[in-house]
Amino acid sequence: MELKQRITEMAGLMSISGHENYDRAALLDQLADIFDEVTTDPMGSHICIRRCGRQGAPKILIDAHFDEIGMMVTEILDGGFLRVINIGGIDTRILQAGEVIIYGEKPIYGIIGSTPPHLQKPGDAKKLKPINELLIDTGYDKDELEKLVRLGTPVGFVPAYTELLGGKLAGKGFDNKACGAAAVDALSRLDRAEMAGDVYLLLASQEEVGLRGGETGAAGIDPDYALVVDVTHGSAPDTKKDEAFPLGEGITISLSAATDLRLTRRTVELAREKGIKFTRVVEAANTGTDANVTQLVCCGIPTVVASLPLRSMHTYQEVLSPDDAEELGKLISAFVCDTKIAEDFAR
Amino acid sequence: MKENQLNGIELLRALCLEFGPTGCEHNVAAMIEAQLGDICEIRRDRMDNVLAHLPGSGPRIMISAHMDEVGMMITSIDDQGYLRFTNVGGIDSRVLCGRRVQVGTAEHRIPGVIGAKAIHLQSADERTQTTPVDRLYIDIGASSREEAEKYVDIGDFATFDSDFVRFGQDDRLMRCKAIDDRLGCAVMIETLRALVARGGERPYDLWCSFSVREEIGKSGAKVAAYAIKPTYAIVLESTAIADLPDVPANARVGEVGKGGALSIADRSTIYDPAMLEFAMSCAREADIPCQLKRYISGGNDAGHIHKTGDGVRCLAISAPTRYLHSGSCVAAVADYEHIREMVLAMLKNWDKMN
Repeated sequence: MELKQRITEMAGLMSISGHENYDRAALLDQLADIFDEVTTDPMGSHICIRRCGRQGAPKILIDAHFDEIGMMVTEILDGGFLRVINIGGIDTRILQAGEVIIYGEKPIYGIIGSTPPHLQKPGDAKKLKPINELLIDTGYDKDELEKLVRLGTPVGFVPAYTELLGGKLAGKGFDNKACGAAAVDALSRLDRAEMAGDVYLLLASQEEVGLRGGETGAAGIDPDYALVVDVTHGSAPDTKKDEAFPLGEGITISLSAATDLRLTRRTVELAREKGIKFTRVVEAANTGTDANVTQLVCCGIPTVVASLPLRSMHTYQEVLSPDDAEELGKLISAFVCDTKIAEDFAR
Repeated sequence: MKENQLNGIELLRALCLEFGPTGCEHNVAAMIEAQLGDICEIRRDRMDNVLAHLPGSGPRIMISAHMDEVGMMITSIDDQGYLRFTNVGGIDSRVLCGRRVQVGTAEHRIPGVIGAKAIHLQSADERTQTTPVDRLYIDIGASSREEAEKYVDIGDFATFDSDFVRFGQDDRLMRCKAIDDRLGCAVMIETLRALVARGGERPYDLWCSFSVREEIGKSGAKVAAYAIKPTYAIVLESTAIADLPDVPANARVGEVGKGGALSIADRSTIYDPAMLEFAMSCAREADIPCQLKRYISGGNDAGHIHKTGDGVRCLAISAPTRYLHSGSCVAAVADYEHIREMVLAMLKNWDKMN
């Protein structure tokens, strides 16, 4: 299967933080024949194990959080309208007139409403409505809607994907399932004998609400060392030079006081050896990823972070280049096959 | 029925999905001509209005609906290949960010998305304020100006790129871009077909104008009205309806699903009271739901038509539409049918109009 297809298939699943099991059956289909075992832990993280076949081999953790931002219902109003609150940091600029799916007893389509101009006061057009003041229009009568939806029902964005010039993709959920898909794709192509240890791909839950599933997932696995893969900002006209990275020019590897220095140096060296397109990025005290928590479980897990540039993060039109995802896949393959890392970091 | 002839909501769907921003209505005009075929005399005037004529003996009636939709125009292409744009027609900046668009011309288009800097990188002010259109950009995936210029030129158009979706209880609502005013166009097509099928003598001389450039107020319907010289005009439109829980009852304009909204007055026209009375009595007798527009707001082609020649008596029937001028206009399937039936009922009883 092409990586591009893997990315949109995984990103298209509903996996709003706290609901990472909603599309579990479809996820298992996407993982079939690649992993020896897929389990789901009490926090909702999916742990996908691919063994190298050797006794006593190190455990290598690849963390790619699987949850995505979304909303949930807080109120059911007359005329079939819903009020919602965000789960994770949603860019409210994209919401008005946007399409959503309400994951009730059955999926229900809705439109996020907007107030017509003639009812706006001067200056209103400049202000963004906070998310809890927006209305979702379902087209149902209230009593009928109440049979299908309740407080807390998750609301997500419609999975529709557009291919742009140069094969770039636009759509929802690339943060961070594009990285998950890149990892699955890379592992599916690896010969087990090449792997320097047993690989644990942690599709972690609840990253968007505070790096939660990555912590418990890593603790449950207790790996020898870890690579955390997540998205970083893709450059756009309104981003600054050092905070975002151009699409199509490869991935980033984080230089940070908050990750393992030796493991990072070896990973950078490895990326150079393999001719992987990457940029080093300084994230001095905080990578903003699951690495913040994975390395502080059990006896301490040496961790390195690599990232995929993504434009318009936390919208439903996130834009990525599949070429960059290929580079990320190459790094994941090199990382799990590297015997030098295995020798240095196996306990 | 002819091959490729579309009816009802299928006709409306095809019209809505067609590319037709103000000033670039050619594709919509061509689709309308193809759908009408040779059922009556059809011509295009110098502005690209499509005029269809059903002759009869009696007063001349003009029905008008506009073909154009709100959109955007590309103003510049930057070194990284992003497109800057400005609005064509009244678009609330708040419905632009994150939208899928089609960029190009009637002949050729490519997909793009309206970009948004990630929330993580926004300042506190940026998080609470609308991004003005001059700071938005369209991302077509190009890596450079040169690559972008292979596909796009300044002055090219863009429209929202929406799917047509039926939703709500019993799929009673529909969502798409350009329901304003392809809905009126679809009603006119079906009205013409029904009148031709009915045959017989007509006590009126009917002209249907599928008009250009309504959304920027430089109305093609005005030129059409000068050519047609009607005594009466019926404008078929979409109007912003605010039947939302956070809008007080006195500001709600009307309700989606309760029939065509008849205007008493808006910001450009005071409508003909006798036509309004006639329309309501026709609807009442045929048991067709309709409603009065309860709020003086907006304007439409009647503003131009009623001031042509020595004056034209005007009526406006609008489809109640939520989130007008966005990629997600929402209207009721039933209202499409109510408006179509209402126009036919009026024409059938036109001898009672005075």
